[in-house]
Amino acid sequence: MNDDDAREKNDSSVISRRDLLRTAGAAGAAALVPHSIAAAAPAEAIEAGAAALPGPSIATAPAPTGPLMNLTARETEILSAMVDRLIPSDELGPGALEAGALRFIDRALSEAESDSAGAYRSGLAALDRYSHYSRGAAFVELSATDQDSVLIDLQTGGATGANVGFVGSSGSFFNMVKSHTWQGTFGDPHYGGNVDFIGWDLIGYPGVRLQVSEEDQRALEADELTPVRRSAYDYATFRADQ
Amino acid sequence: MLTGVLMPRDYSPDGRNVSPPLTWRGLPEGTRQIAVLCQDHGAGRPPPWVHWIIYNIPGNATGLPEGVPFDPSERMPDEIAGATQGNNGWGLPMYRGPAPPGTSLHHYHFAVFALDTELDLPPGLTRDELLEAIEGHVIGLGSMVPLYQRQPSGNGPQFPS
Repeated sequence: MNDDDAREKNDSSVISRRDLLRTAGAAGAAALVPHSIAAAAPAEAIEAGAAALPGPSIATAPAPTGPLMNLTARETEILSAMVDRLIPSDELGPGALEAGALRFIDRALSEAESDSAGAYRSGLAALDRYSHYSRGAAFVELSATDQDSVLIDLQTGGATGANVGFVGSSGSFFNMVKSHTWQGTFGDPHYGGNVDFIGWDLIGYPGVRLQVSEEDQRALEADELTPVRRSAYDYATFRADQ
Repeated sequence: MLTGVLMPRDYSPDGRNVSPPLTWRGLPEGTRQIAVLCQDHGAGRPPPWVHWIIYNIPGNATGLPEGVPFDPSERMPDEIAGATQGNNGWGLPMYRGPAPPGTSLHHYHFAVFALDTELDLPPGLTRDELLEAIEGHVIGLGSMVPLYQRQPSGNGPQFPS
């Protein structure tokens, strides 16, 4: 994919995401959980300029379970292993799988990223063929080190010439999955990833704030600022349906 | 792995893509440290394309074991304790083996530099930065030029889907 294609794709996904909000807000409301209301203490909410909060959070619905909508069991297994290596659960905290990136991607494949469904299908099959060809086993059966090595080969394009069925460069497939994994881990929980704000906690993001007081700034510099764990769409300002 | 001979596929992305084992002998007296560079003069814009840079190798080392860790948090083997990797052509501090386009045959130049001093070089140096850092300290140079060629298209692996 060249830069123009990438830009065009990004633009179109932004538009479709905005369209999505209108329906997602309504659908999300059905899945409200009580703990989301208590996620931020009242005092904290005021500090964060959240006086205009539109009621309960739509961000922290429990992660759905059960089979994925757009990926087969085999594809799910391979993508799950890949996502797990991109942001593994380790001493720094939970990783992309715990943050719900897998389900975020699956959902996106029938929504904003529906154009990418074919690329996932062919890319995951090629990844598995490449693992067999170069490392002698299915991707999910490899050690973490070998999985990382395989993914680096994808990233650097080394898997491209192995004739295992990557469409274009293996690097394009790698970058697509990496980008979606990042979105599903660090994006606003409103979109279905970043479950329990795992991604924001990982990077120490202080949270969406409409106002930042002097005390907040001092606390941030002293690394003592209590993060706001609330979706941007819990603020009236950012709600698409307002 | 020898000069003028195709290298085993395990040192390429057609195999495990681990770094190859290297041995050297006859280091000049006074060798205090060693640096190794692997590059392809037939690739890169401009050439060469760098596949591997490793330095801060102790002067008494007699080679590099196969599969030097690519994860910076992983310990280097005892015999090359302190060894550090620089950034290759992909900007990654690790060995990445040859994957020449199509069925072209490429030459991979491994160079071993014997240095007269113990430099404490930071990780992630580029080829130019390394060459600049060791300038004036090189008291010996060894090289080996194995080849690599990928399988012709159409003979790729077939697996049940």
